[in-house]
Amino acid sequence: MKLASATIYALQIPFVESFRHSAHLRQACDSVVLRVVDENGVVGFGEGAPRPYVTGETPEVVVDHLAHNLWPKVAGVELPDPQADGLSTLDAFIPDMVLAGVVSPNAARCALELAMLDCGLRARGASVAAVVPPRRASVTYGGIVTAGSIDAAARRAAQMKLVGLSDIKLKVGIGDDMERVAAVRQAIGPEVSLRLDANGAWDLAEALQVLPPLAPFDVAAVEQPLPRGAVGDLRILREASPIPVMVDESLVTVDDAERLFAEEAVDMVNIRLSKCGGFQRSMEIARMAADAQVGVQIGCQVGETAVLSAAGRHLAAGLPDVVFVEGSFGTLLLVEDVSVESVRFGHGGRAPVLSGPGLGVEVVEDTLRRYAPRVVELSAGGPQL
Amino acid sequence: MTISVEAAFAEHVDQLTASPPFRGLESGEASREEFDSFIANLIRAHVNSPRVVAFLYALAPPAACHDMLHNLLEEIGIDDESGVSHPAMLHDLAAGARLAPVMGELERLAAKDLRSMVSEPLLYGTLKEVGLAALCEVVAFEFMLSRVASRIERALATHRGLGAESLRWFHHHSEVDIAHAQQGLQHIEDYVLYYGFSEQDAQNIIELTLRENVFIKRYFSQVSPTTASTMQG
Repeated sequence: MKLASATIYALQIPFVESFRHSAHLRQACDSVVLRVVDENGVVGFGEGAPRPYVTGETPEVVVDHLAHNLWPKVAGVELPDPQADGLSTLDAFIPDMVLAGVVSPNAARCALELAMLDCGLRARGASVAAVVPPRRASVTYGGIVTAGSIDAAARRAAQMKLVGLSDIKLKVGIGDDMERVAAVRQAIGPEVSLRLDANGAWDLAEALQVLPPLAPFDVAAVEQPLPRGAVGDLRILREASPIPVMVDESLVTVDDAERLFAEEAVDMVNIRLSKCGGFQRSMEIARMAADAQVGVQIGCQVGETAVLSAAGRHLAAGLPDVVFVEGSFGTLLLVEDVSVESVRFGHGGRAPVLSGPGLGVEVVEDTLRRYAPRVVELSAGGPQL
Repeated sequence: MTISVEAAFAEHVDQLTASPPFRGLESGEASREEFDSFIANLIRAHVNSPRVVAFLYALAPPAACHDMLHNLLEEIGIDDESGVSHPAMLHDLAAGARLAPVMGELERLAAKDLRSMVSEPLLYGTLKEVGLAALCEVVAFEFMLSRVASRIERALATHRGLGAESLRWFHHHSEVDIAHAQQGLQHIEDYVLYYGFSEQDAQNIIELTLRENVFIKRYFSQVSPTTASTMQG
């Protein structure tokens, strides 16, 4: 397979409602979707969701990195066959690069890996299931409650319980944690699993103070209590905290995983395709977590489109042990998603494993164009801005 | 609960009438293409309404059954003094706006919307909850139209030059239908009572249904530029 052309869509799909956490207010999907076309006209799609406070990438960085650094390395070159050669060969084909101010350009890498995978598998009429065999027939998603008012958070949590979700993540770290957690626990009752996400809002001393009083609310885990940084602090917190500690922003690269697991600094990790650089690296981190007896959550990028949701579904279905899964919110969050068939989960958070060719979703290109203020066309000769 | 539902509907109506595209229609500042997109979106949103009302009739609680049957028959032009079905009135609107050539495409898109709605995984565990969400959205449109239809009718007559025959659909849904809209609010109460919803669960379903302004979404966002440019041709 050789890639002949590509199109980069820098999206702005409005949210149905804004989404807030301690580090950011998000009102639209700002994913970057990459469409590649091989020499026979077979099309594949990938997506990366840049988060400056996670990987250091902005949408502009992802577009420019794809157009000027990554595309020239893969355009017009014979690429590995993902089904025959495996994910690792595909991953090795995408060069690692260091960008100033960026932890790791993983959103761009993810977009390219997924697009090449989708295209390569579609060319053979094969599903991602051929390279990431599903271990279950369906995936069960949880809900995420944004950091609005306490009353709104409790109402939204109750609505999530009403649609049958069995686990809920609550954004905290905005100064009203005790009241917020109490209100949400009361709204969902004892039977729904509750975990917290501070998005690095506390320092070690604050976390040590805040977490113990929250433990009686039966909190399954606290995600990213401290900012990305000192692994030693995480270990101290983990040893002292009555609530299991999960990391998200602290885990971007395989090197991060090695350090975290070597220091026995975490109980769980949140693996997200866009954050971790695609399937191969996400699966490698999941394997390392299993070896270290660390729990795995397959997370999502809030506001991701059907492309990343479909990929996340395959990843969650293909790993042996997954404690929590997030994503596939579709039009619960976006005013419009980009696929023909909805990938949104149904009652109970359940969604079937996708079996169609490639990632298993048909993307509506007209929708991409309508919601993309910036479109970059690429040919084997380079970008045409 | 009627009061809070009515307040939520009223808030959405206010958002619609304050929205720039709606104000553009009323002031006449909207372009011909924007008027046509609005008309096309409205037709797409309502051309399948008899089928949606039929679904609601199937789930209707005894107290609302008679009214809902009347609504259904009215939709298909039987229980209506004009003898014209509401989709036929929308065909007249398309013809008056010289959009008849794209009516087939709009019906195809409306069918696609219905298919998507039916195919999408159900968020709720039972049909009674799906029914409440659907009833809430239908009554929201009735409520909105009973307050806004004559304004739209006037805008289309004044700035788009449409005649009374083309605008019959708006007349049927205008302020003369305000009692109908009030009846819809009562139907929601009847439904909640009959199916034994807790106040909280009913409120949650209604709030989830009204998370986004469906009026603005349906009337001003759905037709893609590709479709719109086809229509202009």
